[in-house]
Amino acid sequence: MSVRRGFIERTVEGLYEAMEHALHAEQSAGTAGLLQKLDARVKVAGILSLIVAAVLSHRLWVIVSIFAGAVALALLSRVSLATLASRVWIGAFAFTGPIAVPAIFLTPGEAIYRVPAIAWPVTMQGLTTAALLLARVETAATLTLLLVFTTRWNHVLKALRIFRVPVVFVVILGMTCRYILLMLETAHEMFESRRSRTVGALSGVERRRMTVSTAGVLLSRTSQLSGDVYLAMQSRGFRGEVYVLDDFRMNRLDWSAVAAFVALAGWAVWAGR
Amino acid sequence: MLFDLDRLTYQYERLTALDDLSLSIPEGSRIALLGANGSGKSTLLRILDGLHFPNSGEVRFRGELLTEDRFGDDEFAFSFRRQVGLVFQNPDVQLFNPTVFDEVAFGPLQLRWPRSEVRERVGDILDRLRIAHLKDRVPHRLSGGEKKRVALASVLVLDPAVLLLDEPTASLDPRSQSQLIDLLVEWGGGAKSVIVATHDLGDLEDIADRCCVLDCGRLVAERSPADVLCDRELLERTNLVHAHRHRHAGELHSHPHVHRE
Amino acid sequence: MHIPDGYLSPATCAVMYTGAAPFWYVALRRVRKALHTRLVPRLSLFAAFSFVIMMFNLPLPGGTTGHAVGIGIATVVLGPWAAMLAVSIAIVIQALFFGDGGITAIGANCFNMAIVGALVSYAMYRLLAGRSSIESPRRVMAAGLAGYAAINVSALLAAIEFGIQPALYHTASGAPLYCPYGLGVAIPAMMLGHLTIAGFAEFFVSAGVVAFLQKSDPSLLGEAGPQSAPASHAFPLWATLGVLLVLTPLGILAAGSAWGEWSAADYANPAVRQQIAASTFHQAPPAQVPAGLERLSSLWTAPFASYAPPYIRSAAFGYLLSAMFGAGLVTLACAGVSKFAR
Repeated sequence: MSVRRGFIERTVEGLYEAMEHALHAEQSAGTAGLLQKLDARVKVAGILSLIVAAVLSHRLWVIVSIFAGAVALALLSRVSLATLASRVWIGAFAFTGPIAVPAIFLTPGEAIYRVPAIAWPVTMQGLTTAALLLARVETAATLTLLLVFTTRWNHVLKALRIFRVPVVFVVILGMTCRYILLMLETAHEMFESRRSRTVGALSGVERRRMTVSTAGVLLSRTSQLSGDVYLAMQSRGFRGEVYVLDDFRMNRLDWSAVAAFVALAGWAVWAGR
Repeated sequence: MLFDLDRLTYQYERLTALDDLSLSIPEGSRIALLGANGSGKSTLLRILDGLHFPNSGEVRFRGELLTEDRFGDDEFAFSFRRQVGLVFQNPDVQLFNPTVFDEVAFGPLQLRWPRSEVRERVGDILDRLRIAHLKDRVPHRLSGGEKKRVALASVLVLDPAVLLLDEPTASLDPRSQSQLIDLLVEWGGGAKSVIVATHDLGDLEDIADRCCVLDCGRLVAERSPADVLCDRELLERTNLVHAHRHRHAGELHSHPHVHRE
Repeated sequence: MHIPDGYLSPATCAVMYTGAAPFWYVALRRVRKALHTRLVPRLSLFAAFSFVIMMFNLPLPGGTTGHAVGIGIATVVLGPWAAMLAVSIAIVIQALFFGDGGITAIGANCFNMAIVGALVSYAMYRLLAGRSSIESPRRVMAAGLAGYAAINVSALLAAIEFGIQPALYHTASGAPLYCPYGLGVAIPAMMLGHLTIAGFAEFFVSAGVVAFLQKSDPSLLGEAGPQSAPASHAFPLWATLGVLLVLTPLGILAAGSAWGEWSAADYANPAVRQQIAASTFHQAPPAQVPAGLERLSSLWTAPFASYAPPYIRSAAFGYLLSAMFGAGLVTLACAGVSKFAR
């Protein structure tokens, strides 16, 4: 990535990456790994419980164990380390690093080491805090990615129903995902066409104006689309209730997975308190 | 009588889309609604599908008056939605489910058919339209022709008595266009009715027995396709063709023609 | 300002989910009534729009990024309840599919950005727009300022949630378990970027899009106007109440107790005696507890002594629970009285 990236370039890139992320998740969910075989409900509940266990834990080694478990699951589910690194670990570190690293020096406590030349104290408390923060963030992010990469997202949505999420919410959530992709395509097209017509860097004022008019046009097309979508749904019989083709059936593998998740999460909560 | 339109007027956002329009459509018709963009064809189709209701005038389907109140009744609404299907011009508007299978299953599920029957019917229609290999794909990533077929499948799965199509061949490549026309011709046999809104004069004689020409929300002609195609003055007046001068092998002349997209 | 997993303690996450739940419930009920109208697809599209807006990350000083949320424009077009739902859904999708914001922190993120954001934005917009016509420039300004206010209040709440972590949740040796920076760092760090860059972004998006819509499709702008939502006079009050609820833990951090609220035992406590003196123009308190005070103070033992039930170990959590409970009781009581009086 070159340092002096134009605003347009960066925005288009970001949008594309988001689209690609979604696409990759769809492709990965189709492969024949361990997690892919499990019932979506088991995965949603199981992975969620592990995330909560990691957040609840006060002990670093417990969190790291959960992390190790997550990585093992990933490998068994054909999600490569390279994928995990590029999509989760680096990003999470980039965000958490600037926050966790200064804490090493700033947290009050007994200094166990002083950085030569600048005499910044490294405290035990600081190291603990930074480690805990980093471990939790990476573990939770890894688990979330695992859920999304091994489950078709419409199955995730249907599985949310087991948490008694209202049907209305599931409908809106599903439609919103669809329209996000559509809108990213539209926004991308708009930026591409502007890029081909813009020479040189934009000033702050121009950038702002462009953002605003892009947003405005996006919204306008949005509104047009929403009206037509509503008509299309009605035309096929939508009357305010949603019925989903429920395919979920628990088999032996699913029950074993439930047992495994419960055991692991339960142990983690107990050991980490 | 399938549809009875009596002095329909429809306005929205300060525009008059349909102006005092009267039309009768018998059962088993194959009708083409002709008109340039903005002539009111899409609006008329939506009114026929019970999605918009006229500001004044009446529209009847098999004798039943179509009003907003009438559609408040579940039984009537389900029965109507099953009998009349509309394929929109822009398939993206119609494709909002995560997979093609889900998309085609949406209609039957809304009408509360039993799940096993839904699965069977969907599989059936996917085979008939030769898109079974797409069933797990994401609809909006398909090509234009595939999207149109999915949209068509999602309506045909209900086995409607009336099929309404809004510019079905727009933005399709020539091969997809001819495939679609073949499909329509094949399906439209017997007691089924097809009403197609189009400004494409190319395949008119294949898909329609009768043409209704619209201009600025008014019905200006109702004739057989052959008659309409011969009436150059009508076609130019309603902006379905145009004439400008151009060169053929060094000579300057003009004749009416249509530009294909 | 999306809060990731791991920055907030489970207790804080739970409190935020609890705080968000009633609003979600009401919003869903309202939307469900309008289900067969065009609200559902429009809501989904605004959720998508909010999502895309939040992707336009603006670099802030200090290495983090800020972004507009779109809450301003969502509130103007959809009204506060649907806007709340739309932005919540955008946040959920970001957390689930794009790893932006934590799953345990969804409650907190939604509360900050979607719920409080919608209420503040709506209150400000109604206040500033008044009865001006839909096409007037006053509405444009109102929308912009509403968005600006909303995003800053959201950022403040997030900063507070971050900032109270180290004081409340740490290991025995003093190492913070979650976010390591106290209020003194969290608040300036977040507010600086949002009062300036992110805030201006929201201002321009809200104002600019409203201006755009005034020309292209004014029918969209009617939802949050004076002619809609009959029960809306109460909204600014609810919004204020909500914000105050969350700010109550700040009370703990103010050193010492309020003037005049000393218990009998405080008179014997040398540290408190010093406080009393300091806050009373340096007049020393009497050496003995006044007899009347001692007799009456034991008359009533409150169920939640010192705002913290004994089984809740964390002071701030107890404070917050008490605040919510108290507010709930007061509201119920008022509702009861008003029903009775009708």
